[in-house]
Amino acid sequence: MEPRSKRRKASAADPDSWIAYPVLSAEQSQDVELVDAFAAPIVDRKETSRLVRELNVLYPLNGLQHVKRVRARKDEGGAGAHPLEVLVCRVSDAPSTLLPPGGAKWVGLGEPFVVQVPARPPLTRPQFEAASRRWPTSFHEDKRVTVALRGELFSSRQKAAMHRFMASALTAAEAARQLGMEAVGAVVVDPEKERIVAVGHDCRGEHPLHHAVMVCIDLVARSQGGGSYCFDRFPNCRFASPNDLSAPGPYICTGYDLYVTREPCVMCAMALVHSRIGRVFYGAASADGALGTKFKIHSQKDLNHRFEVFRGVLSGPCEVLDGFRKEIKE
Amino acid sequence: MGTEEGRKTDLLESFCPNDEEIEKWMCCAFEMARDALENGEVPVGCLMVYEDEVVGRGRNEVNETKNATRHAEMVALDQVLDWCRHNNLDVRHTCEQTVLYVTVEPCIMCAAALRLLNIPVVAYGCRNERFGGCGSVLDISSADLPHTGTAFKCVSGHRAEEAVEMLKTFYKQENPNGKKNNRFLLFRHVWQFFFHLFVLFYENG
Repeated sequence: MEPRSKRRKASAADPDSWIAYPVLSAEQSQDVELVDAFAAPIVDRKETSRLVRELNVLYPLNGLQHVKRVRARKDEGGAGAHPLEVLVCRVSDAPSTLLPPGGAKWVGLGEPFVVQVPARPPLTRPQFEAASRRWPTSFHEDKRVTVALRGELFSSRQKAAMHRFMASALTAAEAARQLGMEAVGAVVVDPEKERIVAVGHDCRGEHPLHHAVMVCIDLVARSQGGGSYCFDRFPNCRFASPNDLSAPGPYICTGYDLYVTREPCVMCAMALVHSRIGRVFYGAASADGALGTKFKIHSQKDLNHRFEVFRGVLSGPCEVLDGFRKEIKE
Repeated sequence: MGTEEGRKTDLLESFCPNDEEIEKWMCCAFEMARDALENGEVPVGCLMVYEDEVVGRGRNEVNETKNATRHAEMVALDQVLDWCRHNNLDVRHTCEQTVLYVTVEPCIMCAAALRLLNIPVVAYGCRNERFGGCGSVLDISSADLPHTGTAFKCVSGHRAEEAVEMLKTFYKQENPNGKKNNRFLLFRHVWQFFFHLFVLFYENG
């Protein structure tokens, strides 16, 4: 009985009790990849612009356009140290003689040494900050991503609506649990009208593939005059009648949002790609999850549809539900 | 644990389809695919065979149901479940000895569904470059997913060119329509332009 009261308390909590974080693509979330390069101190500061010009001709740094050619050494400002260093070329591109004999050409350049520089342009602010610690790097910031990573993308009004939708998914999950199914619930929403198109829950007891997301996708199809199944015997699996939604509706789930208590599995995640879902919000991560944990199917290269994913919506109550599931299994 | 694994591999070896079986069952799968094509659906067809008996068959029916998950495999798996219920057989036990014959490599979603139902062997025709879940886009068939059923084995390549040709025919059918629409739109825009010009001229004159 204890988890139940906990859940009640948590789902009644206000939208300030959780933060929605974006689940970014593998490229956006990976650690900064480094590549070995030759750099050299600039002994004579007055030669800097000439040396940069010479080096640009000899080694144009193809593929490393995001790194700056010259860096100022802030850490070793003391006497004797050279305050400026210039990038020569990637170690892999270097010929046997790094600087061809050119008489006065290389005057002012010190002894080359090896440094590690970022191999790719940074895509997010955390990547930019990590990259800049290695070598100065330019960054074309996507402000929206930066704000999202801080967990500040949604206004309090938006969060209140998200809270309401996830609470509906939690209610459906609770109904599934009472039916002896897995405690997972999902809601499909038309974000423009802020209206629920379909609510569904796990029905695995009846059909092993009827995960909450699959149920919801079929309920949306039914709301559009299609569908393959009948979930009428489950009061918490329902869809808005076509009359409630202004006709003509979208193509499958185009532009719709999905709220689901637990991170979808591979089957459900790919079903959402096929259904052209707009955005997905989930509460708790799952061990074989395909929208962040094991795969990032929403940002998978080579797939013809991508969508945004946010985790952590009502994370507390969603995790409690999941914990309850694990207790049953044990 | 070791003997359990051993039993499973023995089982897999004993009913891994031979060339003759593949040819025989794939023939029916291709008929299903052709049926899909004739009904304006992506031409993919499949068959599920348990102890030399067809226990499920399906073809893509996405447009018909407005449900993008109604791929041939999903339709056939529903039939397998119905068949088990009808014959009072254990789903898991039956599925563990059922082979899927499908004209195109299962997509990522279907590959996961096949895992969840513990189908051990899949014979498919051509690769699925767009959505393939048995290696073309992702390899779900053999991925380490301990909570997503069991991994399965793939036998590929039977009548692959024919399967590709059918897909090409389908996508070729789709494109000319698009072009026609564009031409119509262009015509309409040109007409509207002259109409506005005429109105302007008339009002000023």
